[in-house]
Amino acid sequence: MTGVRRLLTALVTNPVAIGLLVVALFAGAGWMSGGTLQILTFLLVNILLAQSMNLLTGVAGQISLGHAGFFGMGAYASGILMKSYGLGFVATVPAAVAVAALTGLLVSFPAGRVREFYLAMMTLAFGLIFREVVREWNDVTGGAMGLSGVPSPMLRTLVIFDLKIDAAWYFRIVLIITAAVMWLLHNFIQSRFGRAFYAIHVSEVAAGSIGIPRAATKRLAYVLSGALAGLAGAFYAHLVGYLGPESFDLPRSVEVLVTTVVGGLGSMAGQVLSAVLFTFLPEKLQVFAQYQFIVYGIILAFSLIVIPRGLAGLLLLPPRFVKRAALRRVGDAAEPIRAVQATSEPGLRVERVTMRFGGLTAVDDVSLSLQPGRITALIGPNGSGKSTLINVISGIYQPSSGVVRFFGRAITGMADHRIAASGLVRTFQDPRLVPSFTVRENLLLGAHRLFRRNGLAAALNLPGAIREEGRHLATVEAVLRMAGLAEVADRTIESLPYGYRRLVEVGRALLAEPRAILLDEPAAGLTEAEMALLARLIRAMKQAGLMVLLIEHHMDFVAELVDDVVVLDSGRVIYHGDVQGMRRDPQVIAAYLGETEDVDA
Amino acid sequence: MEDALTLILAGISVGSVYALIAIGLNLTYWTTRTMNFGQGSVMMLGAMMTAVLVAGGVIDALAALASLVVIAAIMVFTEVFTVRPALKIGGSMGWAVSTLGVGIILQGVAAKYFGSQAVAFPDMVFSAQDYVEVFGVRFALQYLAILVLSVALVALLELLLRRTVWGRAMRAVSMDADLAAVAGIPVRPIVLGSYIASGLLAGIAGMLIAQTGGTVDPAFGFDLMIFGFVAAVLGGIGSSSGALLGGLVLGVIEKLVGGYVSTAAAHGIAFALLVVVLVARPQGLFGQREVVKV
Repeated sequence: MTGVRRLLTALVTNPVAIGLLVVALFAGAGWMSGGTLQILTFLLVNILLAQSMNLLTGVAGQISLGHAGFFGMGAYASGILMKSYGLGFVATVPAAVAVAALTGLLVSFPAGRVREFYLAMMTLAFGLIFREVVREWNDVTGGAMGLSGVPSPMLRTLVIFDLKIDAAWYFRIVLIITAAVMWLLHNFIQSRFGRAFYAIHVSEVAAGSIGIPRAATKRLAYVLSGALAGLAGAFYAHLVGYLGPESFDLPRSVEVLVTTVVGGLGSMAGQVLSAVLFTFLPEKLQVFAQYQFIVYGIILAFSLIVIPRGLAGLLLLPPRFVKRAALRRVGDAAEPIRAVQATSEPGLRVERVTMRFGGLTAVDDVSLSLQPGRITALIGPNGSGKSTLINVISGIYQPSSGVVRFFGRAITGMADHRIAASGLVRTFQDPRLVPSFTVRENLLLGAHRLFRRNGLAAALNLPGAIREEGRHLATVEAVLRMAGLAEVADRTIESLPYGYRRLVEVGRALLAEPRAILLDEPAAGLTEAEMALLARLIRAMKQAGLMVLLIEHHMDFVAELVDDVVVLDSGRVIYHGDVQGMRRDPQVIAAYLGETEDVDA
Repeated sequence: MEDALTLILAGISVGSVYALIAIGLNLTYWTTRTMNFGQGSVMMLGAMMTAVLVAGGVIDALAALASLVVIAAIMVFTEVFTVRPALKIGGSMGWAVSTLGVGIILQGVAAKYFGSQAVAFPDMVFSAQDYVEVFGVRFALQYLAILVLSVALVALLELLLRRTVWGRAMRAVSMDADLAAVAGIPVRPIVLGSYIASGLLAGIAGMLIAQTGGTVDPAFGFDLMIFGFVAAVLGGIGSSSGALLGGLVLGVIEKLVGGYVSTAAAHGIAFALLVVVLVARPQGLFGQREVVKV
């Protein structure tokens, strides 16, 4: 079965095969009947629309139940601009893309603030608002009567640069643009941008912890998804020549969602397969057309449960999120983590931080500082406020009072991703990785904050973007070896046991090349062998001149690693010093073992 | 001034409809933190099946009862085969999509077997001409029935939730189903029961609403469900009294906008309100923010 999948994947992702197909369709268009050309063009529209939905819902994880709104925006924009304002095709299509992208941007502001089923409701509302506007704004959209007479190649009324465009040439134009857009999109998703989309999809908190700004990333996803849907809409408008509000109502949104879910969320190739299926099935199968709505319902109700990965999951290997050209370029070269310039002053200062939740004081007037090249352990009984303190330092909580300074700058109140981007990263008690990513991809995700090349360079696969990705892949290789993960580098996280995940998360934090790193119980649940590897990673951090704060219960592990110990009890610092001193400290003993009786009295 | 009063009363009328829908949506949220995105179709089915049966010569009460039995069965199916498995996927995408799917199936089935045209709905509780006068303005009894039912339900549900062991059990299930099961709470029956109750409420709401308009078609419930969402969100999801207030506020706003701005804008405003409230006060106008542990 895997063999078949590999073969199919090789075929559908082979650039030569795809190129030949495009050329064949381009050349063959001259011999096709009008009906064939129409349905093939419609297929291309559906492919673009499915890619748009997949980018937003499948990749970035933002469910959309109102996608017909973006599609309609593009369709009406191009149709109205051409019919009512006489603009040419070369102007109306980019304008439609821009209008739909802008709509995406506008939707992203409210939508970016909600998640889960609140987002489902909100996108549903967006689709309905679009419908209401189209229905009621008679003067512009034609209202419920619709807008007819949009120039169309089917009626020989579409003119580009004084040339009458027929169905064959329209198909060719749409084909070339679709192929180009798919190529750009593919490259883009395989860059740090696509990885960032996946990161916020899986865990926004974890994404923030490695410096991925969730709001901006979501905005980008909405804008691009809107633009793609707008492009599809513009092509659709001129294909059919008539726009009515019912074409952009809920059933259309459902249809796109069905296509995307069946294709397989996250898989571009799956979207194409699924678009083919849902474009030709109603045509070829009259029975299907009759029961179309019921079938769509059944698919929505059960496909995520029965085949969560859709057609792509059945037929193809899962998509990868590293540029193949960059991988080839690096080979097995390894580049160690660069050392941080040593400074003698403490880089991170926690000054009198207090954190209250209602009546509970979780962290009570805590001060501590971290020195470059030193490992500080933060220990204490359960509920003593250790994780809360890390949440305050990393910007997840805003403290009730007190300040955290990072190289002199107050970072309290800063967004978590900005704190991470400034070089202060953390790990979580429960590893928060992207399960469908390989170990290598997850580690590369850690380097997100170090990438400088823009999205256009990534989409065009410019040499600079490939070089940059290659450089970070070499660092990934070094960390893989150091953490004993080289063997499993190309296995997905979800296929690996727990211990590996821990190591990957710590490695991922290291890949950010931070100046300070906060580790929340990294050794919990590890075997002895894994703990040795973890210790090696942490020592490497120290050697690289990082400040390390380590929360850990495993005393032997702590004792052989750390330089300083801070002990918390009920939110207060009860000890600060070295390990030997801690073992003799009566307050620490009392906190851990209960009050001791004074036998001499 | 009398205009305003007329509009406000009209708003309270439709608002009580939205409240009733929102209360039904809340029931499943109580136990599983899920909401049935197919609720609109359940309302439609309740009304449409009753209408078709009555047209076929079945007496009103029997037709309504038969429809409710079918709805109960559909809700059991929804919970067992689409919500429960989808909850295992994690996140809300699974169940939001799968319940929407069930709704679409129902709508498709109704269109196929009852026809996609509107069917006349009989007067069941009051006739459309019955009214009482409030400060000289007519208030239709059909709407009054809905308002009374909504208020009574809210009182009943608040009492149930606060004062009875079942209410406590339900809250325990919504907090942590596994823990509740360990504590000996019959989690499965409670969850299933909440789905059935939610569906029955939707079915009854569908009938009461259909008689105010006089007709019902397969697309009947969808927009109403969205208004129900708006009402639930306005009042804070999960809160019964909030749903009532949210529904009334929504209804009054809608009618005032329709009366003073434009009837064309009335629906759009409601959808826009959903967006605004979700952004500005996701806990609802009357709710308290939940603290999320990271």
